[in-house]
Amino acid sequence: MTQTDSAPAEARALTIIGFLCNWCSYGGADTAGVCRFKQPTDLRVIRVPCTGRMDPLFIAKALIKGADGVLVSGCHPKDCHYAVGNLYARRRLEVLKRFLPFMGIDERRFHYTWVSASEGQRWQQVVTDFSEQIRKLGHNPGVDGATRPYAGPGSSQPLKIIELARAL
Amino acid sequence: MKTSLTTELHEKIREVFTELELMIGWEAGFDALHTTPVFIRSADDVGRLTWGLLCAQNLTTYLGKDLTLMAAARESNKKIGICVKGCDSRSIVGLIQDRLIERDRLYIIGLPCQGVIDWKKVAARMPISGISSVRIAGQEVIIEGAAGERRFDLQELLARRCLRCLYPNPLISDCVVGETVAPRVKKQDVHQDVAKIEGLSLQDRLAFWQQELDRCLRCYACRNACPFCICQDRCIAETRDPKWLSQYVKLPEKFLFHFIHAMHLAGRCTECGECERVCPMDIPVTLIKEELNKITAELLDYEAGLDVNAVPPLVTFNPSETGL
Repeated sequence: MTQTDSAPAEARALTIIGFLCNWCSYGGADTAGVCRFKQPTDLRVIRVPCTGRMDPLFIAKALIKGADGVLVSGCHPKDCHYAVGNLYARRRLEVLKRFLPFMGIDERRFHYTWVSASEGQRWQQVVTDFSEQIRKLGHNPGVDGATRPYAGPGSSQPLKIIELARAL
Repeated sequence: MKTSLTTELHEKIREVFTELELMIGWEAGFDALHTTPVFIRSADDVGRLTWGLLCAQNLTTYLGKDLTLMAAARESNKKIGICVKGCDSRSIVGLIQDRLIERDRLYIIGLPCQGVIDWKKVAARMPISGISSVRIAGQEVIIEGAAGERRFDLQELLARRCLRCLYPNPLISDCVVGETVAPRVKKQDVHQDVAKIEGLSLQDRLAFWQQELDRCLRCYACRNACPFCICQDRCIAETRDPKWLSQYVKLPEKFLFHFIHAMHLAGRCTECGECERVCPMDIPVTLIKEELNKITAELLDYEAGLDVNAVPPLVTFNPSETGL
């Protein structure tokens, strides 16, 4: 992660976290594996019982702590193992996705989608596309000020930000 | 600040005081620029209550956080009286929606409100020690300080939340003291402040929040003042199991804390602005919740704290929704 890793940025592998629901997407990823579909290897999978288990803060925490991307995948809506888990989830995930850029976090680093257990090919596509997107975005700059120093008095922070803060 | 409205408030409360377990309101504070919350338990003390431009605190926070109040009222078969401004009344609606309080156990005194003064704005314009009186005449605020009298336009001293207030009149109440007030803003202008931030580039937005949140002490005053932060000791910002936040004082922990507060309030926050008012570091934290409210309004067509029968959008679902 950004705070601890001293290796040069280009040399580090990407860290993409995948939250997969146990019943559909985890199975879909398994299908893709059994079928020997070629997939990028940047994704680290965390199995969750249902996307309804997804606290949007899991994603926020991952991105704040320096994960380069977060992928959430579950059963297709109306196909949830628990009937309605993903219907709750999609509202929460969409709200988070729209909220991230307000705090200065690139919402393209977070993606949610639906993959069923039989859709091995679709899973391959999802992983490939998302990994490619993250590769284009590069490493997550994080929120810990690595990109820009603290704006104390006399800082070089763009003037409009300081003015805006004063105006509020 | 003795006004005819305050007298009317006293009379209204005295009429019903026998039905009340206690009355929550404001009284004069340690100086003329502040008021302080007060719990009135005896009819003799009703005269201590005050109402005016300085009654900034959202008293409904007590209802959700101290559940012993409701329990006591239930036991004595009485009601809890509470004074609410327009914004506070939305918090009451929200708390009823969350089933934290019972409507039948409340006696709500609604106070149409033309806004409250942000004392920090006064402090920026004149020395605030030795202020002896704060009066309002029309749209002008007259403050008598140690160095003489100063006059300000009310608009100039209002808290930021009041400048963007759409609901100055109580939405839920048993009796109303005072006349209906017209909102200061039009609905389309409510999100002007967040729009300023949205107008920045992604990098600048990050820089803005880095600069603002860097000051955060994680004192949790914003959480404690929030009427909807009712987890108390189980707040995940402080629990060790699950452990969400460490003791480190760097930006990631601060960002995550504000994410926790904001996400837990998504679709529930009634924008009373208490988090921002109590922040000792002057961080505009309510902006974060305003943005989330804007998102829930656009995406799910929901505004919190308006209807006791509505279900907050993130604790329900709609199978026929598309595009998500």
